[in-house]
Amino acid sequence: MTIMQSGGASSGPSPSGLADVIETILDKGLVIDAYVRVSLVGIEVLTIDARVVIASVDTYLRFAEAVNRLDISQEKEGLPGLVGTMQEGGAKHKTKGVLDAATDKLRDFTDNGERERQGARRGRREAD
Amino acid sequence: MSASTQERPGAEPAQQTGTYVYGMVAGNVELNSGVLGVGDPPGEIRLVRSGDLAALVSEVDITQPLGTPEDLQAHEEILDSVVTEVAVLPLRFGAVLTSEDAVAEELLEANHDEFAAALRELEGRAEYVVRGRYAEQAVLDEILSENPAAARLREQIRGTDPNATRGQRIQLGEFINKAVAAKREADTRLLLAAMKDRCVASVVRAATNELDAVYVAFLVEADQLGELEAVLTELGDRWQGRVQLSIIGPMAPYDFVGTLAGAGG
Repeated sequence: MTIMQSGGASSGPSPSGLADVIETILDKGLVIDAYVRVSLVGIEVLTIDARVVIASVDTYLRFAEAVNRLDISQEKEGLPGLVGTMQEGGAKHKTKGVLDAATDKLRDFTDNGERERQGARRGRREAD
Repeated sequence: MSASTQERPGAEPAQQTGTYVYGMVAGNVELNSGVLGVGDPPGEIRLVRSGDLAALVSEVDITQPLGTPEDLQAHEEILDSVVTEVAVLPLRFGAVLTSEDAVAEELLEANHDEFAAALRELEGRAEYVVRGRYAEQAVLDEILSENPAAARLREQIRGTDPNATRGQRIQLGEFINKAVAAKREADTRLLLAAMKDRCVASVVRAATNELDAVYVAFLVEADQLGELEAVLTELGDRWQGRVQLSIIGPMAPYDFVGTLAGAGG
């Protein structure tokens, strides 16, 4: 059996960043000193704790700040989920913008499925 | 051009090099030559065999600390490229033994049956880590609309001096943090339920970012990968604009070796 490409370049789809690597190999994996006592070399390992401390005042203040920013960016336009129920009126063009953006995103993510669905709809209409 | 020809200490009783161990594979595995490992300069990856087992190792200078980004990436890349071909028991970063003989005797021989059984169990399986991050705006909108109390707090701090309303801000932020944690728990349950019977095992990783929505390691058979992808596509559609999902893998089964070859005691 042959494994690994020369040069160590990984060919598999493993797009992990350094933070992911750290969280994985410094935190998980078999720990050797449970098995080997005599000849384990105490080499100095530079470890960086890349973890965000999740429950801290800094986190709280950041969230509060994010909520504040939300006010400015969104005014009284309403939540994206409520857009569909808005009455046509002064905000009509704004509403349309939001919906368009949402549709674009949907298309980006489910490109194939969406196109298939549209195709199927069109097909049905033609058959009618 | 000759590299560093500095004066060598005459007698050198202290050990200068050690054997870095990446992980264990079956004894019949062959390696390509020329793959480099951790350390500076990095040593070539070799196999130390014993019985039905082999360890992936390279020589390192033990007078220098390990842990540069290159070291970390080398460790993971080597194990993750191995797992695409054969089962591997990954070691945590930083295991160095005095010599290849020590690896053969104290690591492989001493734990032969346990390691061999774990490798058999991992045959044809790999780890995939699913991570989802909340889109901040979307999740904050959700929380504010679901919690009038939070919305009221927001009204109180709107346009005020941050220092004057620090208390309320912390209160609001703490509330939101809790609400995100509750959503994380619910969304993780949803993912686990969707993956039930579609994976060999799963481990929920502790959130490391305050906007983590899901962070779960799955051990899957090669032929279950399609199902994992289908589940993620389905959840991705459902969470459209709310959670950004990503999948990392195939990876060596870092999250599953602890339980497979648990410390015998």
